[in-house]
Amino acid sequence: MAYSDKVVDHFNNPRNMGSFKKDEEGVGTGMVGAPECGDVMKLQIKVQNDTIVDAKFKTFGCGSAIASSSLATEWLKGKTIEEAQKIKNTDIVQELNLPPVKIHCSVLAEDAIKAALTDYQKKTDAQSTDTK
Amino acid sequence: MAHDQSSTHSETRRQLQMARSMCWHCQSEMSGEYFCERCVKVQPVSKDTDYFTCLGFPRRLTLDPKKLEAKFYELSRAFHPDFYQTKSPTEQTISLGNAAVLNTAYRTLRDPIQRAEYLLALEAGSVKDIRTSPPADLFEEILELQDTLDQYRASDHDSDEGHRLRAMLQGEQQTLERRREEMESQLQQLFTDWDELQDRGEATSQARAERDRILKHMRDLLSNRTYVNNIVNDLAATIA
Repeated sequence: MAYSDKVVDHFNNPRNMGSFKKDEEGVGTGMVGAPECGDVMKLQIKVQNDTIVDAKFKTFGCGSAIASSSLATEWLKGKTIEEAQKIKNTDIVQELNLPPVKIHCSVLAEDAIKAALTDYQKKTDAQSTDTK
Repeated sequence: MAHDQSSTHSETRRQLQMARSMCWHCQSEMSGEYFCERCVKVQPVSKDTDYFTCLGFPRRLTLDPKKLEAKFYELSRAFHPDFYQTKSPTEQTISLGNAAVLNTAYRTLRDPIQRAEYLLALEAGSVKDIRTSPPADLFEEILELQDTLDQYRASDHDSDEGHRLRAMLQGEQQTLERRREEMESQLQQLFTDWDELQDRGEATSQARAERDRILKHMRDLLSNRTYVNNIVNDLAATIA
């Protein structure tokens, strides 16, 4: 089975690799894993005025998992929280031309986005109750 | 609730066994073995027969590998295509199908980790149903190690920096291997707990809680072991 050109491109030139400090203001962290294959994915967003201004990822896993999370960070940048919620794994599958056996990699990326958004929401909710 | 589910489950199993309790050839009643007692024709393994039943073992996690192997050889001979060359096409197809199921069953049950994964799938549905919160600390550790691995890959292996990184990675590898061993011995203990619980055969709420505890803990350990295993393999391959 060969990887699509887009997967190879993201794998060779991953976008936005790295991480933010977890406790930095406006940062939401999503940490997910796939127990079936042992892949681990960390995806972070930095939010200002309800818009994702930056996103970073670190992934330990196969090429498709790396490409899925790399693409996800590209898509996240510039989106509002609400728009980000709408990213679906099927969008990733389509864009990267993932074969059926690699669909779980895109699911993992969607889970990571959701987890990062939830974490951000939790942090901001906690802050607003603090200031009340 | 859990009780209701398990009783419907065993009912479906009974129905399935009933469905194949008749010989396809002479229609006489079958007692569940692979050959009809009356006309001696080979009988197909139902797709819904689990691998334990297929190999004639109870649903236990501690299996004697010798006994498992012996049973596998015995059945392999029974279904071997060579013995069916002069038989009818139906019998040839059945024996071939049985041999394939048997091979998968043996490969799955032979390996303790695969056996436990399989039992979990049987007993607790798909993995996702009892997916627990991911072990964040372990993930952080794995991702940090990835960074060090990348640094090492990019470094000149003969330089001081290369030596330093290599020594560090070797240390990490040993620590993780020890952790994997610990997980495996914890799994071994859970295997024993599971088997004892099954042998007692109690239907109390306490027994059900114990069952859930064992399955959940087993799921956690198996998942974490996979994560650790992957990074250990990566480490070993990189610094070999």
